[in-house]
Amino acid sequence: MSTQINPAIERILDNIDKVMTGKRDVAELSLVALLSGGHVLLEDVPGVGKTMMVRALAKSISAELRRIQFTPDLLPSDVTGVSIYNPKEMEFEFRPGPIMGNIILADEINRTSPKTQSALLEGMEENSVTVDGVTHKLEKPFFVMATQNPIEYEGTYPLPEAQLDRFLLKMKMGYPTVHEEIEVLNRAQKVPPIEDLEPVVDLLELQKLQKEMMDVYVDPSIRRYIVNLTTETRSHPKVYLGVSPRGSIALMKTAQALAFSRGRDYVLPDDIQYLAPFVFSHRIILKSESRYEGLSTEDIVTEVLASVPVPIQRLVK
Amino acid sequence: MISTKVQMNFATFLLYTFSFFLLWEWLRPVEQLTDTGNLGVFLGFIILALILAFLNVPPLLKWLVKLVYILLQIQSIYYDGSILNVSWLGTFFTDVTRNLGLVWNGDFMGLSNPFRTLLFFILLWIMAYLIHYWILKTRRILVFFFMTILFITVLDTFTPYEGDGALVRSGIVGFSIMGMLTFYRLVERENIQLKNLPTRKWVVPLAIMIAGSAFIGYAAPKSEPIWPDPVPAFLINKNGDGGEGERRAGYGSDDSNLGGPFVGDGTVVFRAEMEQRHYWKVETKDHYTGKGWNVLVPDSFNENSFLDFSENSPIPITSFHSKDPEDTKSSTVFNQFDYGHIQYPHGVVKVETEELYLYRLSPLTERISAFRDLEPEAPSSYTVEYKVPSFQVETLQNGMPSKDEYYMNYILNNYTQLPENLPSSVRDLALEITEGKENWYDQVEAIENYFHSNGFVYDQVNVEVPEEGEDYVAQFLFETKRGYCDNFSTSMAVLLRTLDIPTRWVKGYTSGDYIRTLDSGNRMYEVTNNHAHSWVEVYFPEVGWVPFEPTKGFSNNIAFSSETNRVTPVDMEETQETTAPIPDPPELEEAGSSASFTDNISNQWKGKVGNFFKDQHKGIILLFAFIIGVGTYLTRGKWLPHYYIFIYKSKKEDKHFPSAYITLLSQLERFGLKRKSGQTLREYARVVDARLEGREMRVLTDRYEQFLYRGNLKDGTWSETKEMWEELMKKIVT
Repeated sequence: MSTQINPAIERILDNIDKVMTGKRDVAELSLVALLSGGHVLLEDVPGVGKTMMVRALAKSISAELRRIQFTPDLLPSDVTGVSIYNPKEMEFEFRPGPIMGNIILADEINRTSPKTQSALLEGMEENSVTVDGVTHKLEKPFFVMATQNPIEYEGTYPLPEAQLDRFLLKMKMGYPTVHEEIEVLNRAQKVPPIEDLEPVVDLLELQKLQKEMMDVYVDPSIRRYIVNLTTETRSHPKVYLGVSPRGSIALMKTAQALAFSRGRDYVLPDDIQYLAPFVFSHRIILKSESRYEGLSTEDIVTEVLASVPVPIQRLVK
Repeated sequence: MISTKVQMNFATFLLYTFSFFLLWEWLRPVEQLTDTGNLGVFLGFIILALILAFLNVPPLLKWLVKLVYILLQIQSIYYDGSILNVSWLGTFFTDVTRNLGLVWNGDFMGLSNPFRTLLFFILLWIMAYLIHYWILKTRRILVFFFMTILFITVLDTFTPYEGDGALVRSGIVGFSIMGMLTFYRLVERENIQLKNLPTRKWVVPLAIMIAGSAFIGYAAPKSEPIWPDPVPAFLINKNGDGGEGERRAGYGSDDSNLGGPFVGDGTVVFRAEMEQRHYWKVETKDHYTGKGWNVLVPDSFNENSFLDFSENSPIPITSFHSKDPEDTKSSTVFNQFDYGHIQYPHGVVKVETEELYLYRLSPLTERISAFRDLEPEAPSSYTVEYKVPSFQVETLQNGMPSKDEYYMNYILNNYTQLPENLPSSVRDLALEITEGKENWYDQVEAIENYFHSNGFVYDQVNVEVPEEGEDYVAQFLFETKRGYCDNFSTSMAVLLRTLDIPTRWVKGYTSGDYIRTLDSGNRMYEVTNNHAHSWVEVYFPEVGWVPFEPTKGFSNNIAFSSETNRVTPVDMEETQETTAPIPDPPELEEAGSSASFTDNISNQWKGKVGNFFKDQHKGIILLFAFIIGVGTYLTRGKWLPHYYIFIYKSKKEDKHFPSAYITLLSQLERFGLKRKSGQTLREYARVVDARLEGREMRVLTDRYEQFLYRGNLKDGTWSETKEMWEELMKKIVT
């Protein structure tokens, strides 16, 4: 292949690699989400390196990392910030919450009440929060990486579908392979390397990358392919609710970002197929009988990908 | 899967379908030859039984379903009332027990219909099971196939059932089953794991072989049977004189309802020694009813009206006035059948026999009955002397309706009769045909010739009977245009009568088949029932009755001479072939020596094959085109890539790259590397390169992706990638 990976992206990924063993794909996907201005939902058990990855990412792009540990008694104001009366100035003073950062790690988001969840999710959608009638703009770039425990766990408030839609990608971290885990142990003997991690890209450069990413060419045949895929999920007999147009947009944007990060200035069906499970799986609601059959939304996406023909000829205009 | 279970795949389904067709061939004649009705019910049962076997229905359920089907059908055929009302079951079971008693006593004729139906169902049940067993267990069906063929041939020979189509059908079906079963037997013997029949190695050659042999069998000439068809004899014994619906070839006196097919009958009626070929007349008819012909007997007619005469006295018939009274000839008849009348040529003058006979002529029909000792009996041999009919065309043309009394009273009254309800379209047609013809002769000629073209077909089988209220002639002229001599002759007579040209309908025989030449120079002919014929005679004033021959494929052997162009009389030898009602095999000259006989056989083959190829040349060209087409298609892996390489060799511009790439995709698919519809080109290229051990596809795909998904084609793409493309194309030549 003549195409080379984008140098800036490569620098970031290599940097993350220094502290993370394996998981380059998760890092790449997170970066894709960051470039396309979306947010990521990581669904996995604790202790597989979610936090480490986010921290490495934040360090690499010299962004400010805020962490919110969601607990059942967390209040919306704990997320957004609160206005406190300042007796000196004789007025209320806004004390920004953890959401006012570049990269937010929202840990175990499904442990808190829906009220608090929605405070975060509103911020994610609007890029601003409103406290006591005053709207506060959020930082740019603003990137939330939320983690949630698998839904079957007790004491969780599952995120409603409309809110899941706000996440651009949903992915699983997964356990490392045996060799990777041995490598993890090797590294754990030394000082945690995360502290020594140097930033490789500054925020301005990141914003430039975000802008450049928008220029990646999406052929009409690819757009048609995306729409064919989403409409196929809507008409699938085992699906109760298919992918929304927001899902189509998400797929296109992430595909642009992926193509860009892989150093291409046009989108391939391969990009679409690679990303579709991460973009679609949390936007599909199965019929209850299909759920009882043991089907997962990932199965549906695989099926849809296999059935919708890839464009291999020019669209006739 | 356990071997006793039916594998539910297409091939098995095909086997069962074929077996159904074989079984069906057993049922078809049953419908025609016995008075078994409701054949659909039995066919339905066979289908049901085979489907149940195919679907692996558990035995108990299978039995139950079949039993219920049988009972339901018997109830609906023989018993009134609702199915839900089960009281009929009691009646049925008493009936069955009574019938079982009858069977025990050997009184098979006393069996009741429901019981017979039950037995028939059981028979079919056993047949269906046997078929299932042969197909599935033993994988052999030759015995059954052979029995089927035997059954059909026996029925074809000894009953009116026509087994031609059935033989072809069961031949094709039977060989197909045997071909498939042979394959399965091989598979089982060699213990090969195979799910389906291999198409290219087994199915295609099998299909070609069966189609080819069927084609050759169909195309090849078949020699005539070496013994006469026994069916007509059976029919005569069975039905007496003629049956309903289907007519028998031969001479009968009732012509009031014409139409319908007839069965050929090669029974010899008489042999005749002739100086010259001619038709044999028996009688004429004058009254057309709209359905057929009969004789109108006038009130004045009585016993005395018959004209009696003895032999050697001139026969009181004046058929025509000949110009050459000297030209008389004679023929001798050797009767094989006694119909009570004699047959005679047109222009008969005298009849001679060795023993004493008396003759009686009916002036209405010109039928000559023979009597011996006052009992009706035709002489076993007799000689008739006749004036050779020969007519001057000019005389016929100039003869106009005369005013003489006989003509006015008798001829015009009797021979221009038409039924009142004759459709006017018949007259319109007659006027249309004769437009521009001034005199009678030309008009008659025009109508006679009309039948020789205009889509008329000679056919003895597919001939319709006119429906209630439908005119026999109108049906033939305007609807079917398909029939035998009666259709043609009646139609011509009626057409002429609409123009007020006196015409009568004549029945008799054609001159028959040539047997041999006698020492005297006379020729011997054999006349069978197949030679029974009908034609038309037209009355020309001052000339008399002149015969005409409208039937397609027959020719009138009456000489018409013209002063300006004296070519006729018609050469008898030439017309021999066409005068027989059924096209005869070419005559064997000097059919005595064996050498010439084999020569003739080979000539016959050549002739027939030649004719076949002449007649079917379009079909043959199509077939060859089809075979070549299939062959080219099957071997396309060898030449198609080279063809494309050649095509694209001369193309230099980049714009040809995409189509070249798409062509490559289709060729790869043909090669067996099928791209799944959800597979991206890049993944596919990986698969292709791995399989073909190269990296050309990746490079080509990369370029194509840029063209397709980026929308630009770099200059020089095609010239850079052409070599790789050709390389790949060459790799997939199979």
